Amino acid sequence: MFLAWNEIKYSKTRFALIIGVIVLVSYLVYFLTGLAYGLAQDNRTSVDKWEADAIVLTDESNANIGMSMMPLGERDQVDADEVAVLGQAPNVIRREGETSEEAKINVTFFGIDPDEFIMPEVIEGEAFTDNYEVIADISLQEEEGIELGDKLTLAGSDIEVEVVGFTEDAKFNVAPVLYTTIATYQDVRFEAIDESNEGRISALVLRNDSVSGIDVENDDLVVYTISEYIEELPGYMAQLLTFGLMIGFLIVIAAVVIGIFMYVLTVQKSSMFGVMKAQGISTGYISSSVVMQTFLLSLMGTLTGLALTVLTAYFLPATVPYQSNSYFLIGITVLLILFAVIGAFFSVRTIVKIDPLEAID
Amino acid sequence: MKLIEAIDVSKTFKDGSREITALNETNFSVEAGEFVAVIGPSGSGKSTLLTILGGLQQPSEGKVLINGNKFSEVSDKDRTQLRFEEIGFILQASNLVPFLTVEDQMRLVNKVKSDAYDEEKANKLFEALNITELRDKYPKDLSGGERQRAAIARALFHDPSVILADEPTASLDTERAVEVVEILARETKDKEKATIMVTHDERLIGYCDKVYYMEDGELRLDEDKSNKEQPDEDELDGTTTE
Repeated sequence: MFLAWNEIKYSKTRFALIIGVIVLVSYLVYFLTGLAYGLAQDNRTSVDKWEADAIVLTDESNANIGMSMMPLGERDQVDADEVAVLGQAPNVIRREGETSEEAKINVTFFGIDPDEFIMPEVIEGEAFTDNYEVIADISLQEEEGIELGDKLTLAGSDIEVEVVGFTEDAKFNVAPVLYTTIATYQDVRFEAIDESNEGRISALVLRNDSVSGIDVENDDLVVYTISEYIEELPGYMAQLLTFGLMIGFLIVIAAVVIGIFMYVLTVQKSSMFGVMKAQGISTGYISSSVVMQTFLLSLMGTLTGLALTVLTAYFLPATVPYQSNSYFLIGITVLLILFAVIGAFFSVRTIVKIDPLEAID
Repeated sequence: MKLIEAIDVSKTFKDGSREITALNETNFSVEAGEFVAVIGPSGSGKSTLLTILGGLQQPSEGKVLINGNKFSEVSDKDRTQLRFEEIGFILQASNLVPFLTVEDQMRLVNKVKSDAYDEEKANKLFEALNITELRDKYPKDLSGGERQRAAIARALFHDPSVILADEPTASLDTERAVEVVEILARETKDKEKATIMVTHDERLIGYCDKVYYMEDGELRLDEDKSNKEQPDEDELDGTTTE
């Protein structure tokens, strides 16, 4: 610690450069993680919001809810603790009166029964009571400026819906969700309302103690656990793997870069280490000081990177799907430092091999 | 009391199938308070002797005793430890860590031992070596003479029984060289160290109690130069007390 810190203080420029590299890499890693997480969340928050255990889709739909269609009557055929009907339809909306290209907004309609458990909690305004009223994800207000009472026209039809409430964390496939009645959903999707047992919906969302205990009589229907279903969300896993790979590589690259820096510095200092060894300072003391130095550098680098990330996130526009939490930030910090310290062990080998005899000659 | 003793020590190297003798069988010892010089041409085996005495390499035959410890018969780890406790090295290119101030060089010794920093001891040493004002300076900001004085302070700080100096005046002009050797001689007497200085600078041997001459791996006492009265002894400020 003593040697490590004094050297950093002495060669400020040199170590500032190394710290700079760590800052940039860690900043990138923190930021990418935030983006990956934010995007992943935008795919799934509305699903997580159900707090459900399973979802029933048609076998033919291949777990794609957009392709799943079943009669409302199936609701009574499923034996689970709680059952909620769900109709899902993507659409494009514009605020009433707007006609421009830019005013088009991708949304997902969730047709639900307001008395069932997937009814979202309203944080602003009130719940819908009539057809053609919707509860919208709050991002529509934050990013598009849509307010309570605003009328939204649907692309390609005459249907108009009115925003009566807002909820949070309701995104599906990166699009904000509009919660409405089953009837409105049917009108949006099929231009026909049929609330009898024959009327069509997309899925049944279930709560049950054990997923395996859920009994579906119809062979055409399949029960997926929610985690299975999330993995099957179109593009979700591909995104996650891509980001995960990038982040993993970046952490390894950071370790290698720091390892190389420390190695070069160690080689430069080998005659000095030789003198120290001749003086009877143990290899262990010298090595631990190099490892400690790496720890200090990576700690300072990652903390600066972290501060920059937090600062950037603060000024980031709401449209960037950046989201992070302390678990990620702490986890990445620990990983970066751990890998950097592992990288420093290359240098330890070199230190062990330095012959103090070379100090005298 | 013999602080360092080499008994039947020799060193041979293998060069292909040929065996090269770097150091013939040598018996050699230095008493507490004794300042010994080893002179000789380069390649004569002076450095080999010094590194064997300092435990940096093992003799092919024979053994080295430091303050009663069988230096050449312990494990590498223990030898490193012994070196740390019993030997102070002063090297040609200075034994200072470039990124530590003069005072921190001393502090490092305590850090390695996990002791508290003995500031009083450092202050006394700085005063004795006249480097008190240099305590906060880095080696690069010191002159050659100042650097070697700081190096002597570093070598003495952990209170070793033996001081090994390898060409400590090589990079100094005569005036500075004399100053450094004077200090070395004085500290040897005051602190009862056994000091061995390897040098090829014959100007300095007047300050030494014994002078050995090394040639082709053969060490012999130079009777002429040893204990010879120095013309300017009176100016030497207590260098020769015997």
